[in-house]
Amino acid sequence: MVKREEFQRVDAYVWELPRNFDSRMLVPARIYGSEALFRAAFDDRSIEQLVNVAMLPGIVKYAMAMPDMHQGYGFPIGGVAAFDADTGIVSPGGVGYDINCGVRMLASQIEEEEIRPHLNDLATILYRNCPSGVGEGGAVRLSYGELDRVLEEGARWAKAQGYATEDDLERTESGGRMPRANPSAVPDRAKQRGLPQLGSLGSGNHFLEIDIVDAIYEAEAAAAFGLREGQVVVQIHCGSRGLGHEVCSQYLRMLQDAPRRYGFEIPDRELVSAPYDSVEGRDYVAAMAAAANYAFANRQVLAHFVRLSFEEVLAGKVSNWHLQQVYDITHNMAKVEDHVVDGKRRTLIVHRKGATRSFPAGHPELTEVYRSTGQPVLVPGSMGTASYVLVGTESSMALTFGSSCHGAGRTMSRHAATRRARGEQVRSELHEQGITVRAQSMRGLAEEAPFAYKDVSEVVDSVAGVGIARKVARVHPVAVIKG
Amino acid sequence: MQGLIMGRWKEIPHTADLALHVWGSDLLDLFATAARAMMSFVAVPAQQGGELRARVQLEALDTETLLVDWLGELLFLLERERVVFVTYDFDRVTPNALSADLTGRPVGTYLANIKAVTYHNLAVVQTEEGYETEVVFDV
Repeated sequence: MVKREEFQRVDAYVWELPRNFDSRMLVPARIYGSEALFRAAFDDRSIEQLVNVAMLPGIVKYAMAMPDMHQGYGFPIGGVAAFDADTGIVSPGGVGYDINCGVRMLASQIEEEEIRPHLNDLATILYRNCPSGVGEGGAVRLSYGELDRVLEEGARWAKAQGYATEDDLERTESGGRMPRANPSAVPDRAKQRGLPQLGSLGSGNHFLEIDIVDAIYEAEAAAAFGLREGQVVVQIHCGSRGLGHEVCSQYLRMLQDAPRRYGFEIPDRELVSAPYDSVEGRDYVAAMAAAANYAFANRQVLAHFVRLSFEEVLAGKVSNWHLQQVYDITHNMAKVEDHVVDGKRRTLIVHRKGATRSFPAGHPELTEVYRSTGQPVLVPGSMGTASYVLVGTESSMALTFGSSCHGAGRTMSRHAATRRARGEQVRSELHEQGITVRAQSMRGLAEEAPFAYKDVSEVVDSVAGVGIARKVARVHPVAVIKG
Repeated sequence: MQGLIMGRWKEIPHTADLALHVWGSDLLDLFATAARAMMSFVAVPAQQGGELRARVQLEALDTETLLVDWLGELLFLLERERVVFVTYDFDRVTPNALSADLTGRPVGTYLANIKAVTYHNLAVVQTEEGYETEVVFDV
């Protein structure tokens, strides 16, 4: 059990546990956040999990946790850890079950007053066109052959099918296509699950939202991202569906014996890993990248149906119903990146689980459109609360291998949430706040109620305080579509 | 063999996901009870519709993995076949292997989606009364 006193406050928002806390630690553990968020981290087992991560072979500098850290499977959620490409490991638990769960934001030229009279219709049409909920198939049915192309090409496949523009791909992390993807590394069972689900939101905390930009913190960056106050935007939050979950489950199973075979110990079986420089390690990365591509394609297909829905409802009623992509980020991924560590350039496998890349202006990996501004960092709030758009900074490269938070964690169990309120009640309370809701499951709605989540504003303020991203804009929802 | 189903289960508080504690008089009872408990959170079988069958044969390095595989198989069949399997006729249950004939009905209502059966805190423990375990599901 780690005690608060064992951490040293290195800076206003930086808390460090020295590696001599446990002889198995290879690096110190660091928590980034306000004092309140640091204290809250002791409420669950996320700190023990962070300490465990610090024991994994080839880890570089620190095992890190972002301000929204909470207990996960293996890595804490909000966990960031980078491993040397030659000597380090890759770990499915450092990516998560929902590979490439992420957020896409689209911006319109519509003002709030223009859309208000049509919100009800728009919510209904979106709910119809963008499948959500348990047991629901996706908007696009695939053959095995086509699925393999989705796994290789991601959003590029979507463009070939007419679901994306080149501009969409440019404004997607990694161009919507992870390198090193290999469909053969994806277990058949995962493919079976993926075949009927492309173009679906899923359930749980996934959502589609219509939001209004209600605050601009940095005018220049906001303008570069295509955002302004009073504007209608759309957010899509979902991942790789059953295919991704199955890839993670299968590889957790397949890698069970790898630590023993490669001569290292893991403190928690949920941290099974293999050297990146091994057949097993490369296979996992290839399967993970393929699942990630599925998720990019999924969000792209959904974006296409969002655009069709806007056209269906708003053509002839507003002057311009077109939606331009702001960005699409992933918050569950492992990426091969070059970083400067102690003055030397090194190739690292950066695991971000419940954490978002946050690259600064000038970074060569950034799309040209944003290279002089920095990367948009999309941080969704919980249902009915604000979401934020941030921009990546130089400090993030120095402090967190270019990483930031991803959203707010829960404060209350699903069970407790359903006992506190019924879904219908949550829906009418949101309605009173001016938020139109379409949800498949009333129980799911209660589980996802705003009161069940921490305050994302506090998380974002901490991120800004650390300096790993800066606030650019805030949005609040006017319509929510959930499974 | 169906064995004597004496097992029981209860939900344990968990902030983000679903956690169950399960007891069984023997390994078969534990596996059957864990399965029924999990299924009660994900789907309700239809009242009408014929009975559907499936066969499951699994082997694993350890009992915990076997349990994860077993529960995962039921979730996979629910998703792919849209069938809720709640009757299990095991012809073998050992710490490393099981085989069973399953009987179920089409899904009547979906209740929730389980993303995965995790290994979190997972330990199948033998006690004086039989077996017990805690299983956490990523929801």
